[in-house]
Amino acid sequence: MIYAESIPAEPFLKAIQSVGFTDVVAVPDTHQRSLIDILSKHETPRFIQAATEDEAIAIAAGLIVGGRIPLVQIQHAGLYASVNHLRGIAEDGRFPMVLLIGLLSRDAELLPHEHGGSMVRLAQPLLDTFDIPHYLMEKEDDLNFIELAYQSALEREGPVALLVGVATS
Amino acid sequence: MSDTRPSKISVDAALNVLDKRREDQVVVSTMTVMKPWREEFESDRDLFCVGFMGGASTFGLGVQLARPDVPVWIFDGDGSLAMQLGSLLTIANAAPRKFLHIVFHNGIYATSGAQPVLAEGRMSFAEMAKGAGYAEAVRFDDIESFELALDDLLEVEGPVFVELLTEPTGESFKSPNNPPVVHPEGERALPSALASRWPIVNESLQE
Repeated sequence: MIYAESIPAEPFLKAIQSVGFTDVVAVPDTHQRSLIDILSKHETPRFIQAATEDEAIAIAAGLIVGGRIPLVQIQHAGLYASVNHLRGIAEDGRFPMVLLIGLLSRDAELLPHEHGGSMVRLAQPLLDTFDIPHYLMEKEDDLNFIELAYQSALEREGPVALLVGVATS
Repeated sequence: MSDTRPSKISVDAALNVLDKRREDQVVVSTMTVMKPWREEFESDRDLFCVGFMGGASTFGLGVQLARPDVPVWIFDGDGSLAMQLGSLLTIANAAPRKFLHIVFHNGIYATSGAQPVLAEGRMSFAEMAKGAGYAEAVRFDDIESFELALDDLLEVEGPVFVELLTEPTGESFKSPNNPPVVHPEGERALPSALASRWPIVNESLQE
């Protein structure tokens, strides 16, 4: 088995903290609800909620201007909704930004591109279209992708995506 | 709500009033107002937003949340704000204390042929901001009243929203901050205005 039923929220939070993220800018995501719950109860990183994913990306960019290290937490539907800000701010503005994107309704026995439904199937191709690197997280061991994603974002001076392929618990 | 057109405030007059009060604020400007502000008053604490309509205010919110000690002013467009009305809730919820959000309400999409902003003459951005939960939200249709009230508004714990009913400038927008660039195939485009500006502001905030 290359995937787990879920990724527990507690070590997920510790991995986020260990990278040094100061803020999580989030739009509610069913797939990551246990992580959102635990994040919203901790002081570090600070939890900031936005109405839309576009706003989350803009807030994160502003936080970077002010010297903070934000993590954007959204759902795949929000990725589709936010592409102009993702392009116009994060990519063209060259903001080293990590996005945590929940793949709600993903069947972990299938690769994302094997899904019939467009919501899961098109997330990676969309990111590829924008030349945004991405990592698929399917088990607790994959939490080390968070650090890799952040280093990648710094190196490329732009956004990098972490696709949360199984729900958090 | 009655129709308040024609409005009486010139953008240049409003910008002059604001510049007179400017000290260490980070200013995030966008759309029609950005060009005259940049030409006259650009500093190392200016951020210019092109290519992501509606994002100026939440971009500035991020700066304010990172640096609560530094006041942030937003010079927004009416069409821009209409594209991201939910941002009023996001900003009100975050409750940034030193945050002045000004929308220059000229009633038209000035750069694309002067199409009217939706519900023009019947809606009020200030009422929306008030309803969303801004600490203060006021509307002005003459420069004297705005100038008279501004000093007090700057003392209010924010977020503060100001709607200025301004004269349409009629100028077409030439996207001066994002000139077309030609770059070799396979390489990323040359830095946009935002990419080149934000490290300057970042550095200024560290001084």
